[in-house]
Amino acid sequence: MLFSSAAFLYSFLPLTIAVYFLMPRRLKNAALLLMSLIFYAWGEPRYVVLMVLSITQGYIFARLIGKSRGTKKAKAYLIISLVLSLGMLGVFKYANFFAESFAAVFGLKIAALNIALPIGISFYTFQLISYVIDVYRADVEPQRDYVAFAAYISMFPQLIAGPIVRYSDIEAELTARAYGADKAAYGARRFILGLGKKVLIANVLAELVNAFKASGEKSTLFYWVYAAAYMLHVYFDFSGYSDMAIGLGSIFGFTFPENFNYPYIAASITEFWRRWHMSLSSWFRDYVYIPLGGSRVKKPRALLNIAIVWMLTGLWHGADWNFVMWGIMFAALLIAEKTLLLGFIKKHRAIGHAYTLLVVMMCFIMFDASSVGEGFAAIAALFSRGSAANTEALYYLKSYAVPLTVAAFGATPLPKRIKAKLEATRVGGAIMTIAEPVALAALLCLCTAYLIDGSFNPFLYFRF
Amino acid sequence: MRTTRLKSILTVALAAAIIFGFAIWGTLKKDDAQSLSERRALATMPKLSIDSVLSGKFMSDYEQYKLDQFPLRDAFRTLKAVNTYYVFSQRDNNGIYIVDGIASKLDYPLNKSSVAHAEERFGYVYDNYLEPNGIKAYLSLVPDKNYFMADANGYLSIDYDKLKDMLTSNMVYAEYIDIAGTLGIDDYYKTDLHWRQERIQDTAEALAEGMGAEASAEYTAAGADTDFYGIYYAQSALPLKPDKMYYMQGGSIADYRVYDYESGKYVGVYDMDALSGRDPYEMFLHGSKSVLTIENPNSKSGRSLIMFRDSFASSIAPLIAEGFDRVTLVDIRYIAPELLGRMVDFSQYTDALFLYSTGVINNSETIK
Repeated sequence: MLFSSAAFLYSFLPLTIAVYFLMPRRLKNAALLLMSLIFYAWGEPRYVVLMVLSITQGYIFARLIGKSRGTKKAKAYLIISLVLSLGMLGVFKYANFFAESFAAVFGLKIAALNIALPIGISFYTFQLISYVIDVYRADVEPQRDYVAFAAYISMFPQLIAGPIVRYSDIEAELTARAYGADKAAYGARRFILGLGKKVLIANVLAELVNAFKASGEKSTLFYWVYAAAYMLHVYFDFSGYSDMAIGLGSIFGFTFPENFNYPYIAASITEFWRRWHMSLSSWFRDYVYIPLGGSRVKKPRALLNIAIVWMLTGLWHGADWNFVMWGIMFAALLIAEKTLLLGFIKKHRAIGHAYTLLVVMMCFIMFDASSVGEGFAAIAALFSRGSAANTEALYYLKSYAVPLTVAAFGATPLPKRIKAKLEATRVGGAIMTIAEPVALAALLCLCTAYLIDGSFNPFLYFRF
Repeated sequence: MRTTRLKSILTVALAAAIIFGFAIWGTLKKDDAQSLSERRALATMPKLSIDSVLSGKFMSDYEQYKLDQFPLRDAFRTLKAVNTYYVFSQRDNNGIYIVDGIASKLDYPLNKSSVAHAEERFGYVYDNYLEPNGIKAYLSLVPDKNYFMADANGYLSIDYDKLKDMLTSNMVYAEYIDIAGTLGIDDYYKTDLHWRQERIQDTAEALAEGMGAEASAEYTAAGADTDFYGIYYAQSALPLKPDKMYYMQGGSIADYRVYDYESGKYVGVYDMDALSGRDPYEMFLHGSKSVLTIENPNSKSGRSLIMFRDSFASSIAPLIAEGFDRVTLVDIRYIAPELLGRMVDFSQYTDALFLYSTGVINNSETIK
């Protein structure tokens, strides 16, 4: 079930809020777990079992690790749990990919495995892994309450698209959390703004991306329009979902980590990755990069560590070679910055901003491509001397000029700063007290209008 | 501090009112059976069963049901359209665009495989029914509204010349009759895709003349009482002014006998009941019918025409029938060409006309 669906907004969400807040405190985790399982089953009824098995093994092995800390047994339990988690991920997410790649390399004919990807498996598996490792490292104590632990892993706000919430982030809130109008209002605000980002910007820009893909005559201008639209689409789609998750978490009394911090204002790729999908990059830093030695090893090894981490980051995003290439491209850029460019970029911030936007744009073309070859061809087309512009490109550029401008403006901190300045004045503050809730309500209605229009389906035979 | 608290309370209250309000309203409201604007049945509450849940069908059907039966659905669609046109300044909404109160739908790009499909099906008809019976074949294309208003206003439109060339180069058996010069944007309804019967007499005469027939007569336009909200009115979701509907009287129309092969009965040229139905344009020859014959007892031409057609023919056929003893209209979107021989005696016909709108040729997946 998507947050941006009428079934979620006007059936599941009100029912869940009602059930949750009517329950006594001691049963709130159970209510959250139950509703989260229903939420997951809505999209993947059969894979609920898989998630419950994952949760159970994580719970059991963490308890065992907790009881045998400092012994070889603890390490054995950790390894078994990691093998189970990564094995599950390997089978359900990467088996098709590896089998096809193996067959292609050795010229073999292997029947397609056709294993469906369980929704959210990458997110909840990473949460499980971080929890078990944190218990092993004695950073956190194992959770004794199975229901509380299962509620943490399966919690529907962050289950299918993150952010990756570490156990240590919400350990205290799993047993005692505060509620109130301010927290609920903050949650509602974040949720509605996230919904707006997803429905009004990301989905609208997706139409432009689809129009580009359907076009038979792609001019150079159309490639640039597509590339700009796609990078904004990805940001508003993903960060919108994270906002909705953080907002829902707040409504239910949890504080989730931030996942985006205006990544497109970064002046280097190094900075970009401190602002983009922060919960994932910090996960790879803490559980892969640093254990590999991080940067405290000899330079060649440190550079290799970067390459390994970014290939894995690419693979995490999708089981295909274009995602691996996407990771490699970022690895190459990060290595180039680390060895050569960062000093120059620090002195020339404007050039850094332009360079970052350009290379991120190219990387996202690879991300969106159906193959590595197609990705590089599309990147090359940005600089081709063929047809510079055509009627189709100009039409779509004009038609989407406002959404693109709104998106570009919204991807900067300017709207937030303007709002803060307005609220800092007495009159502005008073106006915003009323205007902001009304604007949020209007935004919610507008998003609903877009969702309902999505069902508009004129009778195929209307030309009877 | 007090204002922050007030803002929080207002935010929660308004958001909760919308979420819970529409959730309760949607649950209590009686389901609608039809969407008049989309001319389709709306989804109903799916049946809950173990199979439907495990297969995921219940969930997907429920999501469609929730959208279809949402309270104030059409008003929400209008809100979206207003935002698309006037806030986002997008040039079209779901492909519908409006110029000077005239609505049209983008049809782009040229779909070559669709043109080829139409040509192949027409070829089947010619090879199996027309050629063996020595029937002379003609082809004419009805330009859609985009032909007149898209390019001039910066909207995307197909290459009409290319479409015509593709079709005519493969239909060498049919003589092409160009009617584009007889038409202008004012000859079409503002809120619908179709042409207006009261403005296409010269087009009917041009078609008849192209086939060597005479189809001129004295007609008067009678006004229908109801306003006509065409398909683009519904699709645009904007408050456009409705069209006025007229139908032609005079000539031999009152003497025509129209035989409906589906019901096996004679029916009127105009179905006045359709004016209050979901598509008033269906008043012309009863809308979607697979096979109909107009018999003209006043004709002394000795010629009979079989017309392969789409909905545009419904309003022009009564005018063309003036020049023929009999005009049979066949819609091969509703009857497979392979079955035609069982219903129609082709030996009775002297002429055949393929009369199709460019929109149907460019989207011919409905042709059987």
